[in-house]
Amino acid sequence: MFNKESRLEKFKDAETIIGASIKVKGNFQGQGNIIIEGALEGSLKTDSNLFIGEKARVVANVESRDAIINGEVKGNIKAKGYLALGSSAKIFGDIQYSELSIEKGAIINGQLLALAEEHRKNENRNPESDKKNTEE
Amino acid sequence: MHVYIYDEHLNKAKYNRAINRLEIRLTDLGLNGKIIRLGGIKNIKATIQNEIKLGAKTIVAVGNNQTVNKIIGAIIDTEIYSDFKRKTLLGLIPIGDDNSIAESFGIKNIEDACTILLARRIKQIDLGLVGDYYFLNQASIQSAGTTLEIDDYSLEIEERGEVKIINLLSDQSEKIKSNPHDGKLDILIRTRKKDESFITAEKVKINNEQEKLLIDGVFEVETPSEISVLKNQVNVIVGKDRLFE
Repeated sequence: MFNKESRLEKFKDAETIIGASIKVKGNFQGQGNIIIEGALEGSLKTDSNLFIGEKARVVANVESRDAIINGEVKGNIKAKGYLALGSSAKIFGDIQYSELSIEKGAIINGQLLALAEEHRKNENRNPESDKKNTEE
Repeated sequence: MHVYIYDEHLNKAKYNRAINRLEIRLTDLGLNGKIIRLGGIKNIKATIQNEIKLGAKTIVAVGNNQTVNKIIGAIIDTEIYSDFKRKTLLGLIPIGDDNSIAESFGIKNIEDACTILLARRIKQIDLGLVGDYYFLNQASIQSAGTTLEIDDYSLEIEERGEVKIINLLSDQSEKIKSNPHDGKLDILIRTRKKDESFITAEKVKINNEQEKLLIDGVFEVETPSEISVLKNQVNVIVGKDRLFE
């Protein structure tokens, strides 16, 4: 289910990349896939997928669909889809997820909360397919 | 009717052969038109505006990036601009150095340019705007000490390198997707540590206390400056090998 290669495929067409030399401050929002390799302070939200690199330092509440986290996050995380924590991940905050994988070595200092089945369905629902079903 | 605007630098003898070649090719293809030589004309803006008032269907910039910028600068923000936007096409024939704009449109040389003029493949292109300057390609600045403010957040860059704010991609080697008719600017930050950042925005405020912003490799602008984009402002005749969809 959590094949790493297939997950990384999702980030090939990332619309936003924050490199290691960049420091972002404020409310960072995107609609496409986001890759963070640098520092971010504030809040981080995308309707798509999020990748946080090994050397990234994020001090923010984070919200996305699927997320792969290998760096440090100080703040709460909400992944509406699956959340993968790599061996170098350090999380200081509560985590909400639909599906979760944790590699050996990851540090979590907070509560883990699985999103309820009904909530998951709502969050992951594709508006286009909903529209089609209604029309039919 | 085609109106060909020959830029001042083409008065030099070294371009005579290229001009001859161009004129023969245009005649062969039946694309002859009126020729205006900017060398010797004092009021360039009025001359170009007058041609549009007289009903020029296609204005062709013969020269380089600066020729294109002169033509756009002569038209934009004037009373004839709405007519130009609706009725007039912009063509390009690259002669000389500094022709990144033509390359972006897939126009590599005189022969290409003539064939492309004949084919009349048209794309509406956005214009970048910094203060009073309009640009097609990009604005760039040294990255160290640069701050960018976008929407609700800011970016600080300490490493040396370059920040490019791209409307129309001119460098084929850049492996980014850039669209000059999406109403957005593509911001590419590349530092000497070889790390890259990429963001899209409709508007960006840029500041660097030490460095100036360079527009289309020609004009320098002081910062802080706000860069924005105006969607679908110019109808350009483009080639098949252009660097965008």
